[in-house]
Amino acid sequence: MAESTDDTDCGCPEFSGMSRRGLFRGALSAGLTTTALFGSTFVETSWAQPLATGAPSAPSVLVVLSMRGAVDGMSLVVPHGDPAYYAARPRIAIPASQLLAKDSFFGLHPQLAPLLPMWNDGRIAAVHAAGLPAPNRSHFAAMEEVEDAAPGSLTRTGWLNRLIGRDTFTSPLQAVHLGGSLPPASLSGPQPTVALETIGDMRLAGVDKWDVGGRRTRSMQTTWRSFGGSLGAGARSAMQAIDDFTPVKATSATPANGASYPSTDLGKALAATARTIRGDVGAEVITVDSGSWDHHVDLGTLAWGQMQRMAEEFATALAAFFTDLGGLGGKVTVVAFSEFGRRTKENNNYGLDHGWGNVMLLLGAGVKGGHHGQWPGLVNEANGDLSVTTDYRSVLAEVVVKRMGASSAAVFPGFTPSTVGALL
Amino acid sequence: MGAASRRALVALPAVGAVAVSAGVASPAEAAVYLPRAWTRTAIPTAATLHQLKRFTSGYTPALNKQVIAAGGFTKWFEKQLGGSYSDGWSSDTSRWWTSINASASEIWRRDQEGIEGMWLADANYERWTLVRRLGSQRQVLETMTDFWENHLHVPAKGEVGPFRSSYGKTIRRFALGRYDDMLAAAITHPAMAVYLGNANSSKVAPNENLGRELLELHTVGRGNFDEDDVKTSARILTGYRIDSWRTWTFSYDPAHHWTGPVGVLGFSHANAAPDGRAVLTAYLRHLARHPATARRIAFKLARRFVSDTPTDALVARLAKVYLASNTDIRPVLRSLVTSTEFRGAYGTGKKVRNPTEDVVATWRSLGATITAAPRDGEAEVAANEILWQTSSLGLRPFSWQPPDGRPDTAAAWSSTSRFLNSLDLHYTMSGGWWPQVGVRFRTARSWLPADRIRFDQLVDHLARTIHGRGSTSLLLQAACEATGCTPATSITANHQVVKYEMARLLTVFLDCPTHMTR
Repeated sequence: MAESTDDTDCGCPEFSGMSRRGLFRGALSAGLTTTALFGSTFVETSWAQPLATGAPSAPSVLVVLSMRGAVDGMSLVVPHGDPAYYAARPRIAIPASQLLAKDSFFGLHPQLAPLLPMWNDGRIAAVHAAGLPAPNRSHFAAMEEVEDAAPGSLTRTGWLNRLIGRDTFTSPLQAVHLGGSLPPASLSGPQPTVALETIGDMRLAGVDKWDVGGRRTRSMQTTWRSFGGSLGAGARSAMQAIDDFTPVKATSATPANGASYPSTDLGKALAATARTIRGDVGAEVITVDSGSWDHHVDLGTLAWGQMQRMAEEFATALAAFFTDLGGLGGKVTVVAFSEFGRRTKENNNYGLDHGWGNVMLLLGAGVKGGHHGQWPGLVNEANGDLSVTTDYRSVLAEVVVKRMGASSAAVFPGFTPSTVGALL
Repeated sequence: MGAASRRALVALPAVGAVAVSAGVASPAEAAVYLPRAWTRTAIPTAATLHQLKRFTSGYTPALNKQVIAAGGFTKWFEKQLGGSYSDGWSSDTSRWWTSINASASEIWRRDQEGIEGMWLADANYERWTLVRRLGSQRQVLETMTDFWENHLHVPAKGEVGPFRSSYGKTIRRFALGRYDDMLAAAITHPAMAVYLGNANSSKVAPNENLGRELLELHTVGRGNFDEDDVKTSARILTGYRIDSWRTWTFSYDPAHHWTGPVGVLGFSHANAAPDGRAVLTAYLRHLARHPATARRIAFKLARRFVSDTPTDALVARLAKVYLASNTDIRPVLRSLVTSTEFRGAYGTGKKVRNPTEDVVATWRSLGATITAAPRDGEAEVAANEILWQTSSLGLRPFSWQPPDGRPDTAAAWSSTSRFLNSLDLHYTMSGGWWPQVGVRFRTARSWLPADRIRFDQLVDHLARTIHGRGSTSLLLQAACEATGCTPATSITANHQVVKYEMARLLTVFLDCPTHMTR
């Protein structure tokens, strides 16, 4: 039986890597010789280099940071040159004199200061007035629409599941959700994925020094070998991923390069993201949730409120993330965005109700820094929205094509992207 | 890398191959792992087990006896709906934490004096709900309270002022009553007002948050209203005030109420009086009776109790009963349990227990009991620590942040973390390792129904006790593999499985589809 022969390691890292890859990715040998399977030379070249750990390396990593609850993008990237902004927000508008990296029209929230060095280096892009093609003010409907990103399709798959489905690999570690045990809709679909609250979660209880002869693992594999539905698939994915995830668990829990994350859920999730990337286990998509940014009440001012507190946490966590990654940051692109934006005019509670257009932020590898998109002009009336001039899929399409070597049509079926120019 | 994990790697592709084929043990394995019944341990019929798993926090032998004493499931269910069983456990345990029954001003005073922060008061409320589900004789009431508290969701994370416990008790009061009463009480409760921004909304620029979610989540649902309805809804809701973070006094100030004619989804009113509360009540009762609300409630009930994807026919039938019964929930439940769809779901095991349900069911399955009231919310005793068990699985009872309430589908509760952390909890509880104080676990010896018993019969006895049904070939195989026993191994109190490895055996019964679904 294979069980006994495999106990004897040949001592050759190349072999052990190859055999593990073969086990987890049935079509690997075909993939190595058939370039067409990979879709792009870039991807093929990278995958053709087995690592000593046995886990395949991801040449590019896309981190999708969902700002749940709909952040007010006009508080983060402030259109100080639009007079309606100040007219509509007599109490919560951010004074132009306080903005960072201010040009003739936009400036950044002062609490984004930790990201200023990256901004000045041209490693952060802001695409304003982006969003869904038509307003959808329901959090839940908008999140589904944004994350399915395939209007009219009858099959419910997320855009990131389609992205990782573009190749023949089936490792559940190809897409990992970190910081929570509930995967976002963008990951749902036929490709198995992993959702982890913490890195330490990736272990099978009962597998310990007293567990002789692999009894526990065998018993669990028997138990779950045939159960159908999501739970059966999830159980098998989890057990399959445990061994391949070992290199991540072996990385130091202390961030590198003196990086200091805020001790918040977002800080922890991004620290885990950096460790997962460092572990080099083939995770090319990592999702992280942040929020709630649903600031109907007490969005506040620069002196108090939820926005100044959360903007600081957001910027500190992302700055720490890129510090932690160091040179590895050269392959990591972060996209941060929400399901929709907020109303132009403030309400009676120092807050903002549901709106439409918003800012999308891109950070890191391949990003063409600065402002992108077209500003539609604000209207100071009760129901005034920031109109959408850039479909959010055009931004994401540039990322998946230029960074991930994917086809836009496969990830965003039926959609013809316009050029945004936010990536190099 | 150890031999064990190597073996795991090699075995996996075969696992996948089996998964897509037959779905049962191969004939050769079935011959080796033939279940052997231990009939002295009583079990309910398959139909009754299914009904109990869907309508309680988990099967126990004591529950089976209660059903038998009542004269069968139907009579037991009627007694549950009618409140015949004692509510003593709930009222006794409500006194375990001061904040459960304290007034809002008392909870706020305790917060200000550093006795108990409001986040802890909310955590204690969550603990009480877990303890209630663990021991309540009114299991259907607890199940329905959970259902409604999730439908009209308000988190218990210290963010809604000193009102969360009161809110939960309000929902429980109506959980087997009429939805129009429950909706009116919930939407005008200060906890909801704080959570969804109605606490200081005003006619000048109404906060639309509650007005929208009332339509989208609590009543008619998506696709049945437009943005004008949201704005009108928000206007009708104006007038409430809360003195946030000072006294938390909840009041109504007509000066802040928007007046003028309103029309939403067939409801219209002159709304001329400065005090709009009567208009609001009429509006909420109208919404509760709207056909779209009936369908939404019917759908959610069918999804909770029948299937992740209930049929349109069942939803339509339940909606009809709901409207005909003047939003009384009991006739709807009676119709549901007698439906062919519910009966057809026997034994399919497709409703996955969420993390909170898993924790409570694990306690009940293992016969673990809470033996002491906590001294306060920070004491390291089981009645408090059970809350950390739910958070280790990724979901405290009311930690879900958005107002849609936690999901109720298998896909949501099948992730890597959820699965592996559930297994960790099961193993820890099987070993009786944590919690340590204020808890009683069964001894390893007590799981043996005879001084000497064959392993396959022991497995059957354990399956009957823990699952409420006999063992299967697959379960027997997994139990043999976990312990190194064969079906014929003779087990006594001196066998190593009983002396050292009972946790490894018991956890097999919890780490399986039967336990992780309801």
